[in-house]
Formats: sequence, C-alpha cells, structure tokens
Amino acid sequence: MKKYLQLVNFEFNRIVKLFTVLLGITFVAQMIGVVVQSRSYLNLANEKMYKEMMPQAEFLESFGQMSFLQIAKSSWFFGPIALCVAGVAFYIFFIWYRDWIGKNTFIYRLLMLPTSRLNIFFAKITTILLMTFGFVAVQLIMIPIEIMVLKAMVPNEFRLDMGVMEVVTIIPELTLIFPSSFMQFIFHYGLGLLAVSVLFTGILFERSFKWKGILAGLLYGALAVVVLLLPLLLHEFVLNNFFYPIELLVLEIIMGLLVLSASIWVSGFLLKKKVTV
Amino acid sequence: MKKYWKFMSILVVILLSIGTFYVKSVTSEENHPEFVIETQSGDAKEIEALILDGYYSDTSTMNYKSTNVKISSEGSTYERRSFLDQIIGEPPAVIKEYQEKYRTFMRGKGTDLNSFSETDQVLAYADVDYKTDSFHSHDFNFPISILNKEDASVQSFTVEIPDSENMDYAFMEDVQMIEDELYLITNNMIRSSEGSYDEKHVYTIDLNNQTITNDETFSQVPERQEGNHIVAHIIRTNPTEAHDQMILLEKEIKVIEDHESSYREEVVKQEGISYNLATKEKESIPMSDLPIDSELSFFDGSSIYFIGVEGQEIVVSPYHLADGKAGEEYRLQLSGDADHGSAPMTTIKDGKLYLSGQQINPKLNMNATDVIVADVKTGDILFKGQITLDDSEAKNQYELYLHEIHVE
Repeated sequence: MKKYLQLVNFEFNRIVKLFTVLLGITFVAQMIGVVVQSRSYLNLANEKMYKEMMPQAEFLESFGQMSFLQIAKSSWFFGPIALCVAGVAFYIFFIWYRDWIGKNTFIYRLLMLPTSRLNIFFAKITTILLMTFGFVAVQLIMIPIEIMVLKAMVPNEFRLDMGVMEVVTIIPELTLIFPSSFMQFIFHYGLGLLAVSVLFTGILFERSFKWKGILAGLLYGALAVVVLLLPLLLHEFVLNNFFYPIELLVLEIIMGLLVLSASIWVSGFLLKKKVTV
Repeated sequence: MKKYWKFMSILVVILLSIGTFYVKSVTSEENHPEFVIETQSGDAKEIEALILDGYYSDTSTMNYKSTNVKISSEGSTYERRSFLDQIIGEPPAVIKEYQEKYRTFMRGKGTDLNSFSETDQVLAYADVDYKTDSFHSHDFNFPISILNKEDASVQSFTVEIPDSENMDYAFMEDVQMIEDELYLITNNMIRSSEGSYDEKHVYTIDLNNQTITNDETFSQVPERQEGNHIVAHIIRTNPTEAHDQMILLEKEIKVIEDHESSYREEVVKQEGISYNLATKEKESIPMSDLPIDSELSFFDGSSIYFIGVEGQEIVVSPYHLADGKAGEEYRLQLSGDADHGSAPMTTIKDGKLYLSGQQINPKLNMNATDVIVADVKTGDILFKGQITLDDSEAKNQYELYLHEIHVE
C-alpha cells in the first residue's frame, strides 16, 4: 500500500505542471469568455437603447436576458474543456511511453523497484483518474466564480440568474461531464476507467511484442468491446428480449467488472513476464 | 505525509467539490407547489379512488425538465425519475403488476396493455410481429402465449397472418379471450396502387388447433380521397375487463377549404357498429348528429357512452346494447375557457363517469381545471371540483399537464 501511494505521488508530481498549466488556461479563457460575452451583450443593449432609442422592455423582448447559458455555449468556455479532455487522452499514452524515451530509460528503474509490478499499473491508472476528477472538481468550483463575475458585470434587470445545477443540467455536453445523479456519475466514469484499463493493456501488449503487439492490443480491445456488449447482443438478436431491463443492467455491470479484472490480470502478466526495456 | 501534499490536496479538492455537488443535487429538491382537488359541490368521497398522472414543469427558469406528479384527493405527490427508473422504464401499472406476478411469462413481452387479455383462468398475450427490409414489410405473424393461472403452464405458438402480401404494417388494437377462442383485433395498413388504407380485422384463433378460424374485415377505409375520407375507431373499454362485443365508430370526414390554404374538417356521417366476437353478428347503432369524440367515448360491456365536446359542454349519449335503445342524452357543464387547452380525459368505472381537464398554465390564463364525477346513466353530478394550487401566493410560471386518469 505504501509503495503504491509512493508511486502515485511520484506519478502525480510528474504531471502536476501540465495539470496546473491546463487549469490555468481553462480559468483564464473562461474568465475572458465571461467578460467578452457580458461586454458584447451590454454594448448591444447600449447601442439599441441609447442610439436607436429602443425602450428597455422592447429590447428585452427581442434580445432576451443575459444568462450564463450564453457564456457556457461559447467556445471561450468549451475550448479549454476540450483542451483538457485532449490533454488527458494524450497523457493516457504518454504516461507509459515517457518512461521508455530519453537517455536513461526510466522504466528500467521502475521495474526494478522492490514491489509488485502491478503497482506501476495501478499508480498510473490512479493518476489518470486523479487528473480527470481534478479537472471536473476545479471546473465545478470555477462555474460559481464565473457566475459571480457575470452578476457583477450585468445589471439585475438584464440578467437571468441560474444556479450551477441548472447550468449543468441544461447543456447536454456538460451533463456528460457532470451527470445529474451520483449513480450516473459512477456509470460514466466507471466506463471511462474501463476504457483506460483496456487501452493500458493494449499499450503493454505493444511494449511487450512491438509490432505484433499492436495487433494483439487491437484484438484485445475488440474482444473487450464484444464481451461488454454480449448481453445486449444476445438479448436483442438471439434471446428475443428475454431479460428485464434491471437484469440487463446487472449483467452489464458484471461484464464490465469482468473486462476490468481481465485487463488488470493481463497487464500484470505482461508487466511481470513479457515487457521489454 | 508531508511529501504527499500535492496529490493529497488535489484529492481533498476532488472529494469536497464533487461531494458537495452531489449532496446538493440530492438535498436541493426543488420546491414543488401543492395541487389540490378543491370541492365545489357534491361529496368529496367520490374522488377518493381517482388518481391523475401528469407532468409539472417550472417555466420561469430555462430548465425544461419536468417532474412526474400524481394528483389525488389527498393532494399532489412528486416523483423525481431516478437514473434507474430511466433505465428500467415505467410500464403501465397493470403491466407492472403482471411482471411481478408472472415474471417468467412476461419475459420478452411488450408493455402495451392492448396485447393482453386477462380472465379468471388465463392471461393471454398476442402481438403482431414482422420483418422490414428497405422495400417492404413481410413475414407477418402473431406470436401468441397463453398462461394458465392454475397450473402455471404456458401455451406458446405463432400463427401466420393470412393475406399479408400487401401489408405495410399492423398493430394490435385489442385481445379478447372467450372460452377456448382468442380474438385479435388489429389495425392493418394495406398498400394499393391508389395509395394505402387502413383495415380493422378481427381474427378468431382456435387455441386447440392453433389456427385462424375466421378473419373478419371491417371498414376498408381509403385514406384521404379527394376531400373525403373515412376514419374508424374502436371505442375504448376498460383494458383489464373481458368483453365479447366490439364497438366500432366510423366517421366520414369532409375536408372543406375555408380560405386559401386553410382547411377545416367536418364530419359528414358517423356510424356505430357493434360486433359480437363469439356469434359474429353485426348490428348498426343509431346515432345522433352530435360530433362524437372517439377518444372520450367508452364502452363498459353493456352500454356505450358516446361522448363529445360542444363548446363548454360535454355531451354524453348512452346506448344500451341489451335492449338496443338509446338512453337519455345529458350534458355536463365545464368551467373555464374551452377555446384553449385540450379536451378533457374521461374514464368509466362502476357506473360512474370520471372526467378531468388536462392542463393548467397561468400564462395562458388557465388557472384551474375541472374534475367531475357523475352517475354515468343519469348524468347526475356526484362531485364537482377543480384542481388548483393550494397556495395562491405561489409563482405563476409553471405548467401542469395531466395525461392519465385512473380509478383504483
């Protein structure tokens, strides 16, 4: 356990720079987004009301109130989120390959550590999770701050106030990141964890057998998808809708856990017996 | 511990932030207003068995999520649909009960109540199944299952649907089980060179031989022919009760061009037909000229109640099948503006007609909606009331939409 924590700490310290830089970019870009969107709305209001002498009520009627939705739908808001997603996706691969590149191959030292080699796998997957949840958590803290800035900039009568929960439930892309119930949260990120574990196994196949390993990794991924979908496929095409939905859900959870443990087992095997430096 | 501070602090941020978010999402149950059925006249006991299902949505925020609401004599209860409910689905109450009672039998069966028929001895199920490829549908057949309640034995078989070469689609309208015969009432859409049309069929299935012994066709109604067309409806019954009669309402509808590109529909002729499933006797039912709403009308096994809406009034004309006589027509007065909002919902149980409006939306000036219970034979009002907000101070930006009325 202690070795595992040490490894997680070690892995996390290696990404902390990338992590904070991405968070910084997100914060700055989203803040700019709030200011730019509020400004442009206020400018529009000024122009219509003072230059064209449009009454306030008429302006609100035709242009609507300013709400956080306008900000959340802009690329100032979504751009950095996409960047963070890309960052995590990139790092899923880089977290392994960085150990093999460079002058003194680091993986050599990692593999020599007096601990189970599976701990390396666990530490790396934990780091990916920490990074992902870190982005999610900090974004949840940023939204209320951004709402406060919006409140400070746009006067009351031009504003439609919304809570974090509302913002997050209205925009479908955000519901994907912040599902509205905890159970759904577990399912979304559980599926993500599963996908990462399968990818890790694929990477270890490649590291063990080089070119042939890529093929083996792809086959493993395809197999994982088939196993995961097996209950659904059987239910739909062979068994004539035999299962009740709740049974299907339980079967899917079992299949998910099965694929996860298979990935861990195969990765452990590859790390112990096959991986080459 | 000190050397772990970076990842420990991000862990704390994660737990606090995401934790707070989900704790809040559970505890910050939106404040839903209380709806009550306010008695205006009559006995409030009459509505004790009445339950109305609907959706409530708050239109003041831009959050278009609606919440399920049940309204009864005891007020309103809200049900937030959990993630699990969304996955599991919410079949109608009767189907849910079947699924609990006959778990094995109900496997792989749809959740449409029309496909089931229950008697004291059996639970019968029949559906329409067919394959579709890019050009047309084919291989039409009826998967049939009969559960014997006493010994829990199941008889399952499939019957090919005859004359289905030109069928586009078909669906089950009703299933009835009388003695050893199963009656399947379907709506078949037939392709022809002049366009397609609907047919109502009654298939008689002999359970011992597992074959179709009779196929009766009703109302081959051409779809939209030069202004005039005929629509046919089967009058509603209580889906959990067995009936040996089928009541069909046929309407000839004329499309009138009012102004340029504005059309109006007028019922030119309407005809009622009663059909005895077992004896296969057809009888014509004399009908008044009043416009009848086939969605509202009801057949309780012995009498048909043709129901129509005329301005602010609900017109009910009973017809007693046994002696072939029309009963006395009566009218129920609705309050509120009939111009907006949809027609009310009706149901009949134990000799009582239950009626409820469908919509409350203060923005459209609909602040309340009627609930009426009347003696279905005489039209005497037993209860009259309105669904209103308990708290008149509450905000007025909301919409209540009721979609189901049932009596327990």
